[in-house]
Amino acid sequence: MATGTDQVVGLGLVAISLIIFTYYTAWVILLPFIDSQHVIHKYFLPRAYAVAIPLAAGLLLLLFVGVFITSVMLKNQKVTKKAQ
Amino acid sequence: MASEEASRNSRSRREPKGRILQQDKYSVLLPTYNERENLPFIVWLLVKSFSESGINYEIIIIDDGSPDGTRDIAEQLVRIYGADKILLRPREKKLGLGTAYIHGMKHATGNYIIIMDADLSHHPKFIPEFIRKQKEGNFDIVSGTRYKGNGGVYGWDLKRKIISRVANFITQILLRPGASDLTGSFRLYRKEVLQKLIEKCVSKGYVFQMEMIVRARQLNYTIGEVPISFVDRVYGASKLGGNEIVSFLKGLLTLFATT
Repeated sequence: MATGTDQVVGLGLVAISLIIFTYYTAWVILLPFIDSQHVIHKYFLPRAYAVAIPLAAGLLLLLFVGVFITSVMLKNQKVTKKAQ
Repeated sequence: MASEEASRNSRSRREPKGRILQQDKYSVLLPTYNERENLPFIVWLLVKSFSESGINYEIIIIDDGSPDGTRDIAEQLVRIYGADKILLRPREKKLGLGTAYIHGMKHATGNYIIIMDADLSHHPKFIPEFIRKQKEGNFDIVSGTRYKGNGGVYGWDLKRKIISRVANFITQILLRPGASDLTGSFRLYRKEVLQKLIEKCVSKGYVFQMEMIVRARQLNYTIGEVPISFVDRVYGASKLGGNEIVSFLKGLLTLFATT
């Protein structure tokens, strides 16, 4: 069994994913069928953001991974240069 | 390919499921490097597990010229337990895991091979479970998994565990291996299966362990899994550096592109 903090973090991650999943599903799938005068629309951003936000997040992730790999490879080169 | 499958089917029909046959012998390959303190423990634990289950075994110690005197300890163990149970087959210098397996297999007289770490991160008590699982499903390979059932790791902090899970997730998506733990090195193989796989594998280090499973699936070998506990006392201390992560990704992409 995982230790105390680890279990808490794990449960937290699961909770966050569930929240994001339900919000996004409601946003994209349920809301189009609900009357545009209903009060629930107040809690959701304009639907254009339903595409823009995941897209931006994906690009950020790619950027982060790219920067990480580049910095590791640069550090490697510096070390081999020093060793030479 | 069809004839290979046919002969494999006839072989599995001849072997009765669920019984350890009189002629089954299990060779444990133990590559060692600077394991002077752990070696007596691991050998004692192995002897205990095997004798308690009445299984025919041998332990092959492949020492790569350890400077700390592991070889002398191994020689003493041969004298204590007998040269039929402990085989010392040393090499001159550190030559790598794959070649250590090849070297060990040349001297193995068993029809099953068990590979494991000699630094006490793998507990021999799981070996009878491996054997039982193998008989149950007549598997070609039984792999100890840290990611299924009550398998797990002791001694890793949260960051390390998350990295491990993310890596496993990416690997599952890219390679679809049909096994939950690809980088584990606590496994049971049929001898001819291990020989065939080592011939085909080209990578080194833990990517080598990954490649074995992927190639095994390519060749349609069956893989069973047993949850194990991995106790990381040694490597829990040192952090997993950016270097390791990048080389893991490189290895993964190579496997993805070439298999």
